[in-house]
Amino acid sequence: MTHIVAGYPDLKTSEKLALLMADNGADFVEIQIPFSDPVADGTTIMQANQKSLDGGTKVEDCFELMEKVTKEKAAGKTQFLFMTYFNIVHHYGIEKFCKKAAQCGCYGLIVPDMPIDEEPQEKYLENCKKHGLKAVQVISPLTPERRLKMIAKAAEGLVYCVSKFGTTGQTSELNPKLSSYLKKAKKYIDVPLAVGFGISTKAHVEAIWKEAEIAVIGSKIINIFNESGGDLKVVQKFLQELNSYTYRSS
Amino acid sequence: MNSLKKYLLNTDGHFGQFGGRYVPELLIPIMEELQEAFFQAKKDPSFKNDLLNLYHNYSGRPTPLYFCENLTKKIGGAKIYLKNEGLNHTGAHKINHCLGQAILAKRMGKKRLIAETGAGQHGLATATVAAKFGLKCRVYMGARDVERQRPNVFWMEQLGAEVIPVKEGGQILRDAINAALRDLISNPEDTHYLLGTVCGPHPYPVINTYFQKIVGEEVKKQLGGLPDYLVACVGGGSNAMGLFYDFLDDKKVQMLAVEAGGKGIKKENGKFAHAARFGAMPDGKQAGEVGVVEGFKSYFLQNDEGQIEETQSISAGLDYSGVGPQLAYLHDIGRVKFTYAVDDDVIAAYKLLARTEGIFAALESSHAVAGAIKLAKTLPKNKIIVMNCSGRGDKDLFIVTKKLGDKNFANFLKEQTKNV
Repeated sequence: MTHIVAGYPDLKTSEKLALLMADNGADFVEIQIPFSDPVADGTTIMQANQKSLDGGTKVEDCFELMEKVTKEKAAGKTQFLFMTYFNIVHHYGIEKFCKKAAQCGCYGLIVPDMPIDEEPQEKYLENCKKHGLKAVQVISPLTPERRLKMIAKAAEGLVYCVSKFGTTGQTSELNPKLSSYLKKAKKYIDVPLAVGFGISTKAHVEAIWKEAEIAVIGSKIINIFNESGGDLKVVQKFLQELNSYTYRSS
Repeated sequence: MNSLKKYLLNTDGHFGQFGGRYVPELLIPIMEELQEAFFQAKKDPSFKNDLLNLYHNYSGRPTPLYFCENLTKKIGGAKIYLKNEGLNHTGAHKINHCLGQAILAKRMGKKRLIAETGAGQHGLATATVAAKFGLKCRVYMGARDVERQRPNVFWMEQLGAEVIPVKEGGQILRDAINAALRDLISNPEDTHYLLGTVCGPHPYPVINTYFQKIVGEEVKKQLGGLPDYLVACVGGGSNAMGLFYDFLDDKKVQMLAVEAGGKGIKKENGKFAHAARFGAMPDGKQAGEVGVVEGFKSYFLQNDEGQIEETQSISAGLDYSGVGPQLAYLHDIGRVKFTYAVDDDVIAAYKLLARTEGIFAALESSHAVAGAIKLAKTLPKNKIIVMNCSGRGDKDLFIVTKKLGDKNFANFLKEQTKNV
């Protein structure tokens, strides 16, 4: 699974990046709708959010982007998800947002600051379900078993496992306790596990594959894009190197 | 609802549609741990004793409730009383919740305190309790606020705290909160985030209201009866909740919250020229809309897309896009009325209080002074207003001298730089 920020560096290029990821083996692509206060994101993605917003990206632009890539890749295996923060969904209208996302061919939503505890008043899961969207749940190394059970019940499509403490894309070392954490998660959760945050090398992907179905590479690709001066060929080369690792039909 | 007081300290952290705990999964167990520590401590008499002891002997409580006789005469309306929270150790009410949270942090075995700060008062109070309790301390402060409130940075560093200027976004309070949340996400086990207002995810609004309610409790005793009006400034809302809380079930007492009107309730160059969530924009619509940001649901200044917008105010401490969820609820049920004061009225109120009573109010608190003056004019002389002077004005030296264009002071500064 890979990640782009819609509208970063601009809408056209982010569309190209999403398609490139699909063409080079990504089984899932997260399209982030930029937000002014992305608290779970580290510097790389935070800055991409800000630049996208400075460039004038609107929520409607992100829906259009989703529609374009899902149509273009309708025959492929890649699923496209929206990732964003809850205020974006809430402000758009939860039901309206879910309906629109589904119409655009979106597979599911990842909204890290909408924990299931707030479901009684938000009816977010209910609306996702109603419109056929997978509401991707998130777990972390601190999630106790009591919550794992709760989250397992709500799990749909896949569960996003935050690999370590911290925001997205910080360190190069994997969490040494990753294996026991994922084993514990597997006890309760039946859907595929996607492991993200700080995943950047082949070695990381290989390690994750021993325990989980999906490795998520986010900030690393944005960094490669930035460092190459926006050269899509360099991004493509990186994706191809990982290709055999990031894709695994489950 | 029978008792508002009881409801606003509930264990669930929802106040009508507001509040809640909208945080990434990693923070949920941390917030649960804090919640448990707090509600356990609340039942423990030794915790209460420790806290009261520090309030009295460390911070200097009770702070005076002072009758502003000269100001009252000058205005010619209701009697104006001033609760002088500026006489607390560190110069503002912020020390109240910092002491409380520091004891909690110790009880939870935390080794490190982090905090956000706007005007620097909360950061200073956090650095102070960190020094006292032997905890490491890091304070996040928007780079723009660092410029506005540089002396407080110096004092925080003197106390051993590390001050990190936050260069993201508008470089103000909201950006500092985001940076502190990121720090907590990265260091959830050994760190306590000493959040400085009645905002943020549950249990922060409840905890800080609990630690601030001493302000109103003292007022009730000192006045020996009920006032007609309570007036407080509101950024996040900690000093307002502190003053209002104990009177919430006294229906006779009316409450007025004063927001930062900045340069007026409008937009300038596409951005809000103020920080008044409940102010009416030129088209008549309320400026703030319901949103979910920084872990809680409340009213926020946001644009048509749901992006949180920058705010403007002469006072760094009120320069914030959101408002505490309990206050959002009290607004919606009509228990607290909201108004605003623009920068120029705030400076005028600051000057008038200094000249008539010899008290420098912080620019944040001067919003309450401006609100109280305006209100007093409309009321008969037998009515009583209590305004919260949440902090003292010394920290605003540089903003005020700039605003007043004091040339002699500017020359003094030039001379000083030669000596440093």
